[in-house]
Amino acid sequence: MNDNDLYPDVLVIGAGLAGIEASLMLSKAGRKVHLVENTSYTGGTAIKFEEVFSNMECSTCMVAPKQQELLQDKNINLIMLSEIENIGGSSGNFVVKVKKKARYVDLQNCIGCNACFEPCPVSLKNEFEEGLSERKAIYVPCAGALPNVPMIDTEHCIRFKGKKCTACQEACMFDAIDFNQKDEQIELKVGAIIVATGFNIYDPKQVPQYGYGKIDNVYNAFEFERLYASNGPTEGKILIKNGKTPKSVGIIHCVGRDKKGYCSSVCCMYSLKFNHYLTSKIPEVKISEFYTDFCIPGKSHQKFYEKMKNTGTNLIRADNIEIAKKGQGIVIGYNGGNGKQNSATVDMVILAPAIIPRDNTSDLAKILGINVDDYGFFKEEDKNVSSVVSSKPGVFIVGCSQGPKNIQESVSQATAAVGKILSMS
Amino acid sequence: MDRKIGVYICECGPNISEKVDIDRVIQAVSSLNDVAVVERYKLLCSEDGKKFLVEQIKKHGITHLVVAACSPREHQQTFMEICENAGVNPYLFQLANIREQCAWITDDKDKATKKAIRLTKAAISRIRYHAPLEKKQIESNPDVLVIGGGIAGIEASLQLASPDRQVYLVEKTSSLGGMITNFEKTYPDMRPCSEILKQKMDDVDKNDNIKVFTDSEVAELLGFFGNFQVKIKTKAEEIDAVNFDVGAVVLATGSTLFDPQQISQYGYKKFDNVITSLEFEKMNLSGRITLKNGKNPKSVGIIHCVGRDKKGYCSEVCCMYSIKFVRYLKDKLSDVKVSNFYSDLCVPGKSHQQFYEKTQGKNINFIRAESIEITKKGDQLSIKYQDEKGSKNNQVVDMVILSPALEPSSDSSVLSEFTGISQGDGGFFEEEHEKLGPVTTSTEGVYIAGCSQGPKNIPDTIIQAEAVAGKILSSLIPGKKIEPEVKVSHISESFCIGCKTCLDVCSYGCITFNETKKVSVVNEVICRGCGNCVAACPSGAASLKHFTFNQIYQEVKEAVK
Amino acid sequence: MVEKFEPRIVGFLCNWCSYAGADLAGTSKLKVPASLTPIRVMCTSRIDPVLVLTAFLRGADGVIIAGCHPGDCHYDEGNYYARRRFAVLKKVVEGLGLESDRLRLSWVSASEGQRFSDVVNEFNEKIKKLGPNPMKKKTSL
Repeated sequence: MNDNDLYPDVLVIGAGLAGIEASLMLSKAGRKVHLVENTSYTGGTAIKFEEVFSNMECSTCMVAPKQQELLQDKNINLIMLSEIENIGGSSGNFVVKVKKKARYVDLQNCIGCNACFEPCPVSLKNEFEEGLSERKAIYVPCAGALPNVPMIDTEHCIRFKGKKCTACQEACMFDAIDFNQKDEQIELKVGAIIVATGFNIYDPKQVPQYGYGKIDNVYNAFEFERLYASNGPTEGKILIKNGKTPKSVGIIHCVGRDKKGYCSSVCCMYSLKFNHYLTSKIPEVKISEFYTDFCIPGKSHQKFYEKMKNTGTNLIRADNIEIAKKGQGIVIGYNGGNGKQNSATVDMVILAPAIIPRDNTSDLAKILGINVDDYGFFKEEDKNVSSVVSSKPGVFIVGCSQGPKNIQESVSQATAAVGKILSMS
Repeated sequence: MDRKIGVYICECGPNISEKVDIDRVIQAVSSLNDVAVVERYKLLCSEDGKKFLVEQIKKHGITHLVVAACSPREHQQTFMEICENAGVNPYLFQLANIREQCAWITDDKDKATKKAIRLTKAAISRIRYHAPLEKKQIESNPDVLVIGGGIAGIEASLQLASPDRQVYLVEKTSSLGGMITNFEKTYPDMRPCSEILKQKMDDVDKNDNIKVFTDSEVAELLGFFGNFQVKIKTKAEEIDAVNFDVGAVVLATGSTLFDPQQISQYGYKKFDNVITSLEFEKMNLSGRITLKNGKNPKSVGIIHCVGRDKKGYCSEVCCMYSIKFVRYLKDKLSDVKVSNFYSDLCVPGKSHQQFYEKTQGKNINFIRAESIEITKKGDQLSIKYQDEKGSKNNQVVDMVILSPALEPSSDSSVLSEFTGISQGDGGFFEEEHEKLGPVTTSTEGVYIAGCSQGPKNIPDTIIQAEAVAGKILSSLIPGKKIEPEVKVSHISESFCIGCKTCLDVCSYGCITFNETKKVSVVNEVICRGCGNCVAACPSGAASLKHFTFNQIYQEVKEAVK
Repeated sequence: MVEKFEPRIVGFLCNWCSYAGADLAGTSKLKVPASLTPIRVMCTSRIDPVLVLTAFLRGADGVIIAGCHPGDCHYDEGNYYARRRFAVLKKVVEGLGLESDRLRLSWVSASEGQRFSDVVNEFNEKIKKLGPNPMKKKTSL
């Protein structure tokens, strides 16, 4: 192969739903895919959800078959615990340097029996579970995570801090734990790149009047998803801090919207989903949704809204929200539009924060040589030509890395990027 | 054939060996007369384990392989590949799950062992009825029929067309471009639509691999994925009908506007100067915004959400284009007073809120309102409404622009019949899966894009068109045969009584009725293998490969012993 | 001496949801009665009523069909058909002289390991109370 040949392989960055879909389609077309994922698991943010709107489909049932297909696909080289260090070259001839962190567990030998967790002496908050439960230094993020192979968190494992400990290795019957694994530098030659790095949510601590992080039982959307999840820290039981079931809940839309300057498009819908979560587990619960404009575009979304309205939920158009502690409960102060401050008392508050770019977006943009827009998302060159085309030919930006959107739109973009790559050659 | 069943029990380290008495399992199945060998092994899915199995198969001349180990969801594929490597048909294999659903769910070793024996015997009994299934390879035509020459159809055609893939672009009106040919500018960048369209239409023109048929419609569509036969009827003088074959069909038929006449309180077609958004776009494009009397309006009311309650969904684009209208009006008639009457302002997306925030100023009013009624007031119109505080109010304007809901195009029902797909929410074409399959449908080979699938803006329409291209480019490859699902349904001609029950229950339209023989026929190319027709069949004519009645019955028999 | 009754329960589980949920119960080391013998099908709509009846005629003490929650079926609507067939089956089972409670239909998703364990445990207890299938002594197939 000489320098003029185009590299047929494709790099996909991010093994969330968009990245998985793109990889599977490219493989079907006969292309080899290098799927670089930052974490130790596939499925991205969607696997945090129990159900997805608008038909309340089980998220695991939806994602697991795709994850299984991914793990068994011979055309897809899944490189986990990795990040992109450097990219050189141009469309058709990119040379990518990947830094892969050692997992310290052999992917072939490990059969996922979890015997190594119990003896580990280190316990800390589980980030996947939003800190609502603990994990060990050797761990999988949640039950059902795929691949079902743990990783060693060297930041907290005492062995990697200099102490002698082989507890996990001794417990393993399959020789799967290998402390001698080393971080790797991998070089990939690809013709095109799809960036599918997903999103983060706005930290409500930045808006102190929501009381997040100060007042008990004020949760953000991800925390509430995990509370409801059947494989979550409470096995799906919705409980407040004192172990009781909440009798009344306030859901606050548009958290951080003013600060960020855009509508994140999915929050009204998932707030309705949260309504459904609550009423399905706690039929008598009283729910109030505090919103500014109800944003539910799409042919199937309003009927879900109508259904939720009929469950007796209080829909309150409000601004000037102020959350304060009141005895055992929480008071939501708000302006209901008639100029007067009103208030509602609830047991639990759920905040729906804005969708924001991942922390490493601008760094990754520099490495890729692509532009970032005013909001920090990857910038499309011209959305009236195609919103997945970045400022650099051969680099495609899909899903929430390009801007807030729902799963359907992310998957459409991933599929569109594949279409553009396949029609390139 | 001399059947030699090889049974291999995986210890899975201590996971199975400590919870199940494997020797007892071996003892229980060794005596079965077609079981040639029973062995245990430490870890069958390891590289050594895989080598061991291949050697064993060759050594003992094993014709059928049973493995008792973990879940088929874990390693079915692994062991099927081992069979292939060793020269055994991969469907002459059965995996008994004695780990996840046996060893791991009880601490009672005796019960676990008894269950493991049942499961292993069930697998052995079942495998006796397995047939060696072969992958089929079907010739396919890579060409594509695109129905609808708007932006979605144009974009899909441009992405798909190549020297080894012809695209037939069929448009019912006399020119391409669709809805957006009527718009002067697009939000939020306020770029001229003609700029966006012109380049694309030139590209279509220059592309020898796109055959455009204007003033044409689909008259007939037969066949299935990879093998559709199309008949077009065209108003073009020289040709009566055009026939061609394609492998895939794209429905890009766009949308129309809800007719506001259906809601009398909007006064549409009752009073002068009450116009729809499309009528306003055309007027704006012509350069002159005038009332019926030829004068420029001094005040305009724009009513959002017209027909939303009736249709039951939010059409996503109307708030944004209604804001765009404010800009059109202010650009051309700087002193005009504009008031927008909306219920919920819908501006999702990263630059849309900013577009709204920058469309503020003198003589621009955004009013949250409900219970809207338009009446005549002399030469003007009165917009009666209830504001957010609940008080009744009214505003007098020269012109009212109604922003109605988007509806699917009128051809949707005919096309859904041709293709066998359903019309879902709002009457739009139903996608295969709301989240993971937005552009595919229940009929393999039929794709949907743009507003035919649901109301959406131009960038999202373009994305869906490109997504359709992605789907077709990855599954219908010129020169490459299609490999359909192997474990499909089959209907025995001799036993079929022609009741057609199976046709009713099939979600994918893969069963057709042969009128001559009076029997149902399954199209194995598009069957997904769910087995619904099999359970529905009253005469037992339908069977599902690899999940036949006998096969499952054998498992039931062992389960109750 | 009275032998302790060990039920024989046949479970028809669909590949995409309930079989996955059953696997998850195992991976999570939850307790599920060994009396259940799982039989994997691709979709609950495959379950021919005759298969269920045959199971009872051959002496199954209980039959449980578990599929995807309504709306989640991998094949779109298969589980709705299963539900309808089940409703009719309940009556037929009664007609055979069996308690209709011996036949159960449950929805278990791929993430509901605990639910699978709960459902099967509860069903197992119910079957233990009902006692052995009365047809075991009457028929011989």
